[in-house]
Amino acid sequence: MNRVAIVGAGHSKFGKRKDVNLAELAFESIKQAVTDAGIERKEIKNVVVGSAGGWYEEALPAVVVNEYAGLRSVGTMRVEAACASGSAAVKAAHDSVATGESDVALAVGVEKMTEVDTMTSVELIGRAGSYMWEFENYGMTFPAYYALYAVSHMNRFKTTEEDMARVAVKAHHYGSLNPNAQFQKEITVEKVLSSQVVAWPLKLYDACPLTDGSAAVVLANEEVARRLTDTPVWIKGIGYSSDSANLSKRDDYVGLTASVEAGKRAYQAAKVTPRQVDVATCHDCFTIAEIMAYEDLGFCEKGEGARLVREGQTEIGGKIPVNLDGGLKAKGHPIGATGVSMMVEITKQLRGEAGRNRQAPIKNGIGLVHNVGGTGHYAYVTVLSRGA
Amino acid sequence: MQEEKQQQPTLHSRRSLTLRFDIPISRTHEFWDALGEGRFLTTRCTACGNESFPPQADCPRCMSDRFEWVDIGREARLVTYTYVQVTPASFVNDDPYTIAIGEFANGIKVLAWLEGVPVERAKVGMKLTVEARRSSEGNPYYVFVPSLPS
Repeated sequence: MNRVAIVGAGHSKFGKRKDVNLAELAFESIKQAVTDAGIERKEIKNVVVGSAGGWYEEALPAVVVNEYAGLRSVGTMRVEAACASGSAAVKAAHDSVATGESDVALAVGVEKMTEVDTMTSVELIGRAGSYMWEFENYGMTFPAYYALYAVSHMNRFKTTEEDMARVAVKAHHYGSLNPNAQFQKEITVEKVLSSQVVAWPLKLYDACPLTDGSAAVVLANEEVARRLTDTPVWIKGIGYSSDSANLSKRDDYVGLTASVEAGKRAYQAAKVTPRQVDVATCHDCFTIAEIMAYEDLGFCEKGEGARLVREGQTEIGGKIPVNLDGGLKAKGHPIGATGVSMMVEITKQLRGEAGRNRQAPIKNGIGLVHNVGGTGHYAYVTVLSRGA
Repeated sequence: MQEEKQQQPTLHSRRSLTLRFDIPISRTHEFWDALGEGRFLTTRCTACGNESFPPQADCPRCMSDRFEWVDIGREARLVTYTYVQVTPASFVNDDPYTIAIGEFANGIKVLAWLEGVPVERAKVGMKLTVEARRSSEGNPYYVFVPSLPS
């Protein structure tokens, strides 16, 4: 298998993007990624587009995006792994380079979630489980799924609503330093606690917003990567797993089994341990999700996630800085774009280009992307590294 | 910043799309029939003994398509719950609701609304009883209610 490197990264402004359509939005990232890589578009033979879809007008996003960007006669597909569609797109593109099928491949994540009204978006995400047994009669929502985990975690480990609020405060702090983030303002624990309940115990400020956004990465084999750049970021290992569609089939509600499995497989593939990770993006669609991710990925013991937040261990200067781009919570969560956006963020972190006041100290040259689809329905963990 | 510019011109599409699905239930319709009679059944594989909920005609453990219906009783214990205040578009006519996962004695877990108790008084571990309901359109479904003290 060939080594595969990220050699170009692009990222749109996240937010309510009424100023652009789907293809225009994707193009913002594609142009940046291709320019950053310094390649000709004709070198790209394979384009994988991660997008969940349903909330925008196009049924075939991959070909619409490629046509607009002048990517002609490329091998292409759209992939779906719910909120992990972006990581799935990177994996598919990675595999085509790793196997030698392509020398250069492009992974694009794009989502436009605000072309339908908010309640329709809530409906479409609420169906992301087992429709017949969870939605048809019971109207599950995305926050409700995670709230079932939050109640269990609070009950078992004495995690509090305040602990969860601290995750949101951290996210907004770093979001305020990231010009691409949807939310640019700091918030307080009090503001989170007094915000509207969406699915108790989760409140509006425990939840990521609906977001339009795109991100793109150019992947290349070692030969091309060496030609293009002195700072390739290697994809060192990918682990992925899944879990039941029905939440009622899960053994427990204090962590995501798919994350644990994906993490183990990624660490094994990359031959690294959680302690070696310098910086990570964790899937924080809700504050409780970030707390569980720390535990599931081995950044702390099970049940200790809240303590990590209280002690500030996941901020710059702590044991393991997490979501220095604001996370899904403040940067925004355009479902299919999120995984690719995380790859862009860790690439910039490892290159030392994250920007003022939100650059993690890089000691071992190891970064980690944790991307969950649905409520642990899918999980992808990708370990990236810089250096030789 | 984009989010502050709410005046961007957009084209409101002339075409709308309504989706309603006819979902086949023929292989496990006994579940819904029995529910209408107040019994809560699920499938047990007659080849390997595996019990599944939701009921399924093909065994996920051994892939056999031979199964029987078993009555799993009506008593469960509350495993976890939430109170949904912001509801999806198609639930606009419903009041906010409590959702619970209850575990039956045989270890099977079921997700349903929890009725008859304010969410502040819900407690993990409390005893629940599953009850059949019928929607205004005539579709059967089930809910949990707190068990009466025995």
